[in-house]
Formats: sequence, structure tokens, C-alpha cells
Amino acid sequence: MEDSKKELRICHMYPDLLNLYGDRGNVLSLIRRAELRGISVKLVPVSIGDDFDQNDFDIVFLGGGQDAEQNVIRRDFVEEKGPKVKEAIESGMVFLCICGGYQMLGKYYQEHDGTKIECLGAIDVYTVGEDVRYIQDTTYEASFLKEEGIEDSAILYGFENHSGRTYLGPSVKPMAKVLEGAGNNGKDGFEGAIYNNVYCTYSHGSFLPKNPRMTDHLLSLALKRRYGEDYELPELSTENEDFARAALLRYKEKGNTAP
Amino acid sequence: MASIRFHIAVFSAKCTHLALRLMGRGATTLPGKVAVKIDPKILKKLCEGRNCVTITGTNGKTTTTHMITDIFRNCGYTVVTNVSGANLLSGVTTSMIFGMKDMKKAEKEGRKIICVLETDEAAYGKIACQIMPKVSVVTNLFRDQLDRFGELAHTRDLIARGLDSCEADILLNSDDSLVSELYKGREGRTIFYGLSEESMHYNNVTYPDKSGVLPASSDAEYCTGCKTKYDYTARSFGHLGAFSCKTCGKKRKDPRFFVKYDLAKNPSDEGYELSLLDAGEGRDEKSGTGITEKRVKLPIPGMHNFYNSIAAVSACVRMGEKIGDTEALSFEKCAAALEHVEAAFGRMEKISIGDKKICVLLVKNPVGLDRALSFVAGASDAEGIYMLLNSNIADGKDVSWIWDVDFESKEFPEKVYVSGDRYGDMMLRILYSGVERSRIVARPMEECADLLDQAISDSTPGKCLYILPNYTSMLALRSILVKRYHLKDFWK
Repeated sequence: MEDSKKELRICHMYPDLLNLYGDRGNVLSLIRRAELRGISVKLVPVSIGDDFDQNDFDIVFLGGGQDAEQNVIRRDFVEEKGPKVKEAIESGMVFLCICGGYQMLGKYYQEHDGTKIECLGAIDVYTVGEDVRYIQDTTYEASFLKEEGIEDSAILYGFENHSGRTYLGPSVKPMAKVLEGAGNNGKDGFEGAIYNNVYCTYSHGSFLPKNPRMTDHLLSLALKRRYGEDYELPELSTENEDFARAALLRYKEKGNTAP
Repeated sequence: MASIRFHIAVFSAKCTHLALRLMGRGATTLPGKVAVKIDPKILKKLCEGRNCVTITGTNGKTTTTHMITDIFRNCGYTVVTNVSGANLLSGVTTSMIFGMKDMKKAEKEGRKIICVLETDEAAYGKIACQIMPKVSVVTNLFRDQLDRFGELAHTRDLIARGLDSCEADILLNSDDSLVSELYKGREGRTIFYGLSEESMHYNNVTYPDKSGVLPASSDAEYCTGCKTKYDYTARSFGHLGAFSCKTCGKKRKDPRFFVKYDLAKNPSDEGYELSLLDAGEGRDEKSGTGITEKRVKLPIPGMHNFYNSIAAVSACVRMGEKIGDTEALSFEKCAAALEHVEAAFGRMEKISIGDKKICVLLVKNPVGLDRALSFVAGASDAEGIYMLLNSNIADGKDVSWIWDVDFESKEFPEKVYVSGDRYGDMMLRILYSGVERSRIVARPMEECADLLDQAISDSTPGKCLYILPNYTSMLALRSILVKRYHLKDFWK
């Protein structure tokens, strides 16, 4: 069959509010690695008061924000869009959620003083706020990305900046093993969460530009869901991203060189 | 009477200074640190009885401080000021200790003295009560290094704490919704400055609508009081503009001091012609007649310098009113002095190297980088751009902010050079904005000097190489320019 032009519809949730630590780079990565493959991309910002209809999208991106902004969003997200977001997740829609977005999908966020803030409860995780903030470069290993013959294919790089400690329930798998940094809670050695096609992580950075195999993994899941399991994502070099990864590794090994 | 402790502290600072100079090292903060250890109240004693102006905020502090210093000097004052970056307790103390000699001399000669002190926005809360400024300028609040300061609302609260610990008249940016709300509870001593609302309307900067374009990150889209999205009738850049909240009614205050401008008439690579206006005490831009206007040609380009200019002029005029020297510090004289200001290093100064030209634009945070990229995109002599990104503690360990900047809408010069410890991150950022890989040369920090040689030798006489370093890469670049190109370190 002649390959008709494929289309990817990205929903960028609250781009005007959840826009911290370079998270928009994740959307730029999805767009770039789709468009270079000849896939046309439709990007739709969905903010407060806007309708969210899962039939309109193939992939949803939800980033993190400053506390003030997250409080603005919570009611809209949990009460207005909540039921439809849960439906979309149960039906296998692809989500990428970073930091605050990750916490908001969980059951609740418990503040330092014990106050519990109800969250969406779409995935079985909860978060407890603590005083010490984890702020550092991170490295993880994600077994689902392992490709034979490519040495660092399963390695993910990021930057974490969070005071919440997240704990996973039995229906949720961690996304990766922590090699450097604190991860979900600084205790169990794991980072992020996977539930159905929902991928959650604390990694800012941006996360996807430095991890092209992760970008491709999400693109592949989204397009298979749209065009059927037989759909194969066309080959695309990771040469430029690998150049940046090598530079980053060099920096990690050598440390800073300037005064 | 100064205590013995005070004298020992000052003496120790001077010894530290001498020792550092003998070792060939810079001495802008350590002497002050030593002095504070010995006498924790030393800054208070140094500033006692002095007329001090403080400048704080996230962007434009150094340039505004320079401008205020230049204006006061032009108006006949002896000025003590701190060098760029040395804006914490230790740096301010160092500057005041080494300004003592000048001040004593000026006193003997009967000259007027002013202290112009740039203060770090996170440190302001603690040191304002020691400086006890007569006039305090708050420039703006943009996202800076969030990993260092936490969130913007927190930074604003630190500044508020400082304002409450002194009795200064406060000059606030009317167009910055976060800064302008600092007037609350301080109504009697607040004066606003900004860009003319009319000019902003006329030169409105429109932002990509919800048409599928990824919007650039904004720092303050929602009303801090009632969480409603602000309506803007006009913008200058970033979240600065004529904002209003339809729920609680909060809106931009009409400024007393303001700037009229017309971007269409201003070539971006030369000085700007603009009008500075003063509506007079207790009046504002809507007051109609009786507004004083002064046309000037600002030698340093960039729209953010409109804000720095009006902030500087209003600080000087207000100081004149406060200390009863409205004669020497008249609005006209202060505004006219702007024509003589020089750029600080890394703030858009063009430097000749043989028959080639370079221009260094320090970029430390998202809005600074956005402004610099816009400026380069509009400069007719831009042929190459050299970007350096480090991630030392002084820069912030987190480089993710480069992704918050809208590179996508900026046109890059033909040749792109990249270095710094995080050259890979920066290369990828530029590439992802649509610049072809073949146009980008990226090299690690250790090769940044060789890459500078290459970039300069690649450039054509008459054209300009724009260099955009962040903080520590700028320090490295400065020493390379001194060593390899024998430029005098005149910007110290």
C-alpha cells in the first residue's frame, strides 16, 4: 500500500501556565522528529476553559509549573477536564507528563504541614512534599528502550528539580532505574512511572531533545494507536542528538572547565 | 564616632585587597567579606549619613546603575558605585570601603556625593536596612535562575522585605505586573516609570495566537491576586505592557516618568532617538498639559534600554527632589546626560579587532536571550553569531531555560559558532529551531579561544560578529580578548 501522508495531533496542555525549565522543548522534539519523517503535525494548545476531547489527539503533553500557576490549573484539570482525561488514559492514549504534571495525574499531593491536595487520581501514585529539594543532573536506564548493538540506547539524561517524593502503587511500573540523581523519592532507586501509554518523569532538561529514542518510542506508540499495530516508524538518524549526548557525557566526566 | 571594631574591619579589608592584588587576583568581594566578619554592621556604618540609591530586579541592574552613575557625574556629583556582579553584601561593602577615600576628598573640596549601589534581588531583603537608601529602583522581574532563587513571587517578596526595612522612595516599573504590585501598602512613597502607553499601542508586539504555534514561555500571564488571565491592550516585550485584570480590576498604573518611541524610525544597530517625559510630582502620563519632554539620542541600542534609561533618569530626578537639589538634577539635565552613557562590558558595545568588529551581549536568562536574539536578527551588519553556554554555580547548574526562549521566530546570521561546557545542549537548541547543521560549528569550552579566532577570521570587514556568552563564559571570553587580542581591560 502506498504510504499516504500520516498525521500526528499533539495536545499541549496549559502551555501558557505549565512552561517551566524548558519543558516546551519536549513538544519541539516530537514535532521535529515527526516532521523529518514526513509526518504532518498538528499542535493544539489546550488551556483553562478549553474543551479536551480525546478523539482530537494522538499524544498529550503536560509539563510542570511554578506553584502559583499549578494552583490556577488544578481545579480546571481535576474537575473540568478530569473525567475525559481519565477516559483517554484508559483507552491507551499516549501521555508524557513532567514533574508537576506527573504529580497532578496521581491521587494526591501531601504538603509539608500534612494538608492533602486532591489530584486527578488517573494513576496509582501519590506524592509527599519534603523540605530538601532535589536539584541536579540525572541519568537513568530504561530497559524498554534497549536496542541491540547500540551501547547507550537505554540511557536517559535529564535534570531534576523537585521537593515532592512520589511513591508508586502496584498497577504502575517505574519508567527507569536511577543511575545518577534521586529519582521518584530518593529511596527506592527508581524514576518516573508508566501506566498504559502514560509516561511520567521528574526530568526537565528538556527531557526529549537529549533522548531521541524516547521521542521515537512515544511517536511510535501514538502512531500505532492511530494507524494500527503494523505501522512502522520510518528510520531516522539520531546523529545530531548523539553529538549532544556525547558532549553532555564529556561534561559529566570532566566537570566544569571555566572559573 | 566609628568604633575600633570598624577601623580594624576596614584595615583588614585593605590588607586583603593588597594581598589579592599582589597575587594578581581580582578583589571585588573578598575584602568586604573579611570586613563583615569582623564588623557585621560595617555596611550600615559606611552608609550612614550618605545619600544612597539602590538598584535591584532581575534584568538591567548593571546598565541602569551605570546610567545613574553617569548622570550624577555629569551633574557634578562624586559617585561611589559597585562594579558589576559584586552586588551581594560582600561586594557592596567592598565598594563602600574603597570609596571612603574619594568621599573624604570630595567632602574636603565641598563636592556633592552620591552612592549608587546595584543590589542582588535575592540579597536586597537583607541589606536594604543597612544601606538605608533614599531612592530605590526596581527594574523588573523576569525568570532568572530558578534553581537558585526559587520562584518569581518569592523574589518579589524578598524585595518587599527590603523596601519595608527602609524609608526609600520607590521607583517601580509600571509595565511589569509583578513589580508594580509592590506599591501596595507603600502608596505614599511610590513613583512609577514606564514606556508610554500610547507608544506601546502604536508599536504593539503581538504574540502568536492559539493557531498552533508554540507560544514562548511567559513569566506572569495570570493575575497574582485572583488568578485570572491578564488582558493586554499593548506589549513592549515579555510580560511587560498595558495589562489589566477583568476580574479584580488590577491594571497598569499610569507612570509619572515615561518614554515615547517609534520603532519604525529606529535602526536597530545605531542609537535610538526617543523622548523622555516627566509629568511632574503627583501627576502622570494622562495628566495632559504641563508635561516636560526631552528628546535624546540614546547611544546604546535595544528596547530594554528604554526602560533602563527612564528608570535611571527618574531615580536621579527623585533624588534631587529628596535632597533639595532640583537645580543640578533637573529633569532636562538628567535626561540630556543619557546621551553620554557608555555600555558596560558585555552590554552591546562594539569593539574593533583590526578591520573586524565584534559585539558582546551577555545573556543570563530567558528574556535576556530573547532580547539579544531579536536584536541580532534585526542588525543589518550581523554576519556571524557565537554562543557560549556554561553551567557553573554562578550561571545556574540548570541549562533547561534555553528551551523556554523562542528561537523559532528569530532569524540567525549565516554563520553560527557554539562553545561552552554545554555546547552540545546549545547546538541542539539552535538546530531544533530550524538552523541547518552545516551552518553550525560546535566546540567544547577548552577550544573556545580557537573558535573565536576562527569566527573572527571568517568574518568580513565592515560586518559584525555577535557574541552571546552567559556569565562565566563571558569572564573567560574577556580574558581571552585581553590575552590574545591585547585589548585593554578598560571595562573594569
